[in-house]
Amino acid sequence: MSSDPKIEGYKFKPGYSGMAADTASDQTMFKGVHWGKAMMWIFLLSDTFIFSCFLISYMKGRASTPVEWPNPSEVFALNAFGVPVPLLLIAIMTFVLITSSGTMALAVKYGYERNRKMCGWLIIATALGGLTFVGMQVFEWSKLIHEGVRPWENPFGAAQFGSFFFMITGFHGTHVSIGVIFLFIYAYKTFAGHYDEGKRGWFTTMKGDYVEIEILGLYWHFVDLVWVFIFAFFYLW
Amino acid sequence: MDEIKKEQTTTHKIGIYLWIWGLLFVLSFFSYMVDWYQFQGLLRWSLILFFMFLKAGLIMAFFMHLYWERYALVNVLLWPMTAIACFVGLMVAEGKYTLFSRLFYFFVGGG
Amino acid sequence: MSEDFNENKTIQAQSSETISGGETGVAPDIDYVRPAELSDQDLYHGHTFITKWVFCQDAKVIGVQYFLLATFTGIIGLILSWLMRLQLGFPGAAGFMTAEHYYQFVTMHGMIMVVYFLTALFLGGFGNYLIPLMTGARDMVFPYVNMVSFWMFFVAVGVLLASFFVPGGPTGSGWTLYPPQAILEGTPGSGMGIILMCVSLILFVAGFTMGGLNYLITILQARTRGMTLMRMPLTVWGIFTATVLAMLAFPALLVSALMMTLDKVLATSFFMPTILKAGEVLEYGGGTPILFQHLFWFFGHPEVYIVALPAFGIVSDLISVHSRKNIFGYRMMVWAIVVIGALSFFVWAHHMYVSGMHPWFGFFFATTTLIIAVPTAMKVYNWILTLWRGNIRMNTVMLWCLGFIVTFVNGGITGIFLGNVTVDVPLSDTYFVVAHFHMVMGIAPLMVIMGAVYHWFPLVAGRMLSEKLGKWHFWITFLGAYSIYFPMHYLGFIGVPRRYFEMYDSPYITSAVGMNEFISTAAFIVGAAQFILIYNIVVSLKMGKPAGKNPWQANSLEWLTPSVPPEHGNWGDKLPVVYRWPYDFSVPGAKEDFIPQTTPPSEVVETEVEKT
Repeated sequence: MSSDPKIEGYKFKPGYSGMAADTASDQTMFKGVHWGKAMMWIFLLSDTFIFSCFLISYMKGRASTPVEWPNPSEVFALNAFGVPVPLLLIAIMTFVLITSSGTMALAVKYGYERNRKMCGWLIIATALGGLTFVGMQVFEWSKLIHEGVRPWENPFGAAQFGSFFFMITGFHGTHVSIGVIFLFIYAYKTFAGHYDEGKRGWFTTMKGDYVEIEILGLYWHFVDLVWVFIFAFFYLW
Repeated sequence: MDEIKKEQTTTHKIGIYLWIWGLLFVLSFFSYMVDWYQFQGLLRWSLILFFMFLKAGLIMAFFMHLYWERYALVNVLLWPMTAIACFVGLMVAEGKYTLFSRLFYFFVGGG
Repeated sequence: MSEDFNENKTIQAQSSETISGGETGVAPDIDYVRPAELSDQDLYHGHTFITKWVFCQDAKVIGVQYFLLATFTGIIGLILSWLMRLQLGFPGAAGFMTAEHYYQFVTMHGMIMVVYFLTALFLGGFGNYLIPLMTGARDMVFPYVNMVSFWMFFVAVGVLLASFFVPGGPTGSGWTLYPPQAILEGTPGSGMGIILMCVSLILFVAGFTMGGLNYLITILQARTRGMTLMRMPLTVWGIFTATVLAMLAFPALLVSALMMTLDKVLATSFFMPTILKAGEVLEYGGGTPILFQHLFWFFGHPEVYIVALPAFGIVSDLISVHSRKNIFGYRMMVWAIVVIGALSFFVWAHHMYVSGMHPWFGFFFATTTLIIAVPTAMKVYNWILTLWRGNIRMNTVMLWCLGFIVTFVNGGITGIFLGNVTVDVPLSDTYFVVAHFHMVMGIAPLMVIMGAVYHWFPLVAGRMLSEKLGKWHFWITFLGAYSIYFPMHYLGFIGVPRRYFEMYDSPYITSAVGMNEFISTAAFIVGAAQFILIYNIVVSLKMGKPAGKNPWQANSLEWLTPSVPPEHGNWGDKLPVVYRWPYDFSVPGAKEDFIPQTTPPSEVVETEVEKT
């Protein structure tokens, strides 16, 4: 995690003077940051641009259509006990995803404390949360498709509504699904003790380390982060 | 290999995670309430954006540990967002202009 | 000359950490360099032919693979340009050529040259080969991912070339692929052609992301001891910044390609407005074509610098080495690269002045465009000031560098014309634009690639290329390229539109006929001259003069490997330690006219080296 590591011959400075010193120093710019973690951060930066481009396109498309945009709080309402509750499913999905994000954060913490069991079970919990999320998304999609929403048309208003909805939530759902697969793989690796023994990975000569849990955690929190934006812009706006 | 020569990695107290976790639930609840009470107009948009950025900030700062990272990493990650901000700002203007020209030429009849 | 500067210089070069290390009162060891932060990287060494040369994890082999495949696609692009010039110079001479074919060739030529040739060659080819060597790393940080990156590129090229063989042929919508016409019937290749193009681009972006992460993390996190960012050769700086741009700009391309594919396959209307065709309203409606242009150019403009910045970096190193002088204003050069990279995200819509976008945007984008000219001009001055009173070796490499400066200045100045809205509007879509971008991002980077090939071939192959053939190659290419593109400016001024299959009998264009014939003839000759290089490479691989170690007497690390060509792992048992920047040429007081980066300060106490 992230309090300054000890590096022989290097004095850490805080704040912006520390930033200048780190940047001007030799060998590494991000002091004490694992290669994989640095890579994940840069990848997420790139991925942020992908989602930003999606959301910007959505904004531009929605802003420039003269046709009425469907009211999301009606479209995504769900009948509970005979009363239509706006955004009920979405609220639950948000709840599930934030829950899984919390368990992931704890998994990272217990991983660094070398608490193998706790770490593993928390990863499993995260993966199950992710699966629930994807399941509910499937339900949501099928409900909308049932109501006649298609990528190219929908009964509520502007055709772009369906296009952007399926594309953006689909792309996000793909991210979640990939995350779930990796969560299960990493849960296996945790339980098998690969990170305690420093066993080398399957496609790399690097030795296993609990930092890999943090790297996976970064990805998972990013998926949650994107959902925050999608929730705000697509469902609430 | 890429092992950093250091002793024990320090971790943070569990309390901070639980706090953030709880805050995220509360903020999500609030942003849901924005829709529940059907606030409209500027109030709705500013509330949505406020809760959104707060949630995003909390996730990044504490769950993704950015708060504890060194500035070298934090700045590398945050500065590129200015390009996105510029893109967003210009596309807001562009979207309005496209709508204007469509209404003007197709409906009002500016020809 | 040296006396003038004596006062201001410290005599010894010091590691930046030395001063803080000297608190104990003992005289500081001037050769002290902080110990390694990370333990040495383990590498997977291939043993079979497949793991050594095909699915290889060695960045150097991957670099050569990228180079060869990019060159292969580049030759296809060259042949397409020949066919286009044949049609333009001598209409009807190629019997099979229809207008549809012409558009398809234009499109494929543009896309291949920009993305699959120049980008892949600079970042994939030179980046892979040079980054680990120049920063003193054993290899890229994730060799397996690096290997997958190349094979994704391979598949992307395969998909791209497959579009030549599908019904309807490749897309003919211009390399910008503007909707709505790109996916509507009537445009050649609007069926499978455009779909394959989008798929190929998506694959390319995915593959490139894997490679790009490797380049960035290797440069940021895997440098050798003593190698600070401000001691890196400018080549690495150029490739680094270009890779950052690519990581942030390719997402826009990915998104636009994906949305266009959906428009085509699922009939969504992201980019498709309501369209009336032959009195019938199409199924599309309500989309915004201009959004595609914004997305495309949000990628497209950084893409220009993805090609240009590595060229800037490489040419700086070549000029410095071959004029035996340090690069003038190293820090300014670095900052110029970074500033150009950052600004390139704020100038994109200067490609769209006539697109019907928000009329106020012209002001914003013209301003940013002219601002970006400032750091670019600084770089040009610095190259010239590096040459100034240098001990210039007029070899082939230097010729290519000089050729680069000339063509780049030429193309850059026309760029300032086109950056201004009022000048751009009448010149839009004329041959002036064609001349501009071919000069500035076609010929100029190509000159650098050629110079780089002559410069680094001895390192890759262990043998020198023939200087005699090289000079022929240069002069034919340089004079020929000028004969092609210089007259095009004139064609633009008289209003010849680009992308026209034939001018027929337009009265104001008849004066262009002779010029078109001249341009085409020159194009055939220049294209053919490139095979001199291929012949040179093939012959020199076996029969060239053995290069030995460090034939150019350069300072940077790639020439200081224990074996030439370098082996897997680059450095043998011990990683090099770096004490200085790579530009200590002709240092007053030094025994030789170059001081390699690994020479410790204690060996050059008596000299006036730069303090870096």
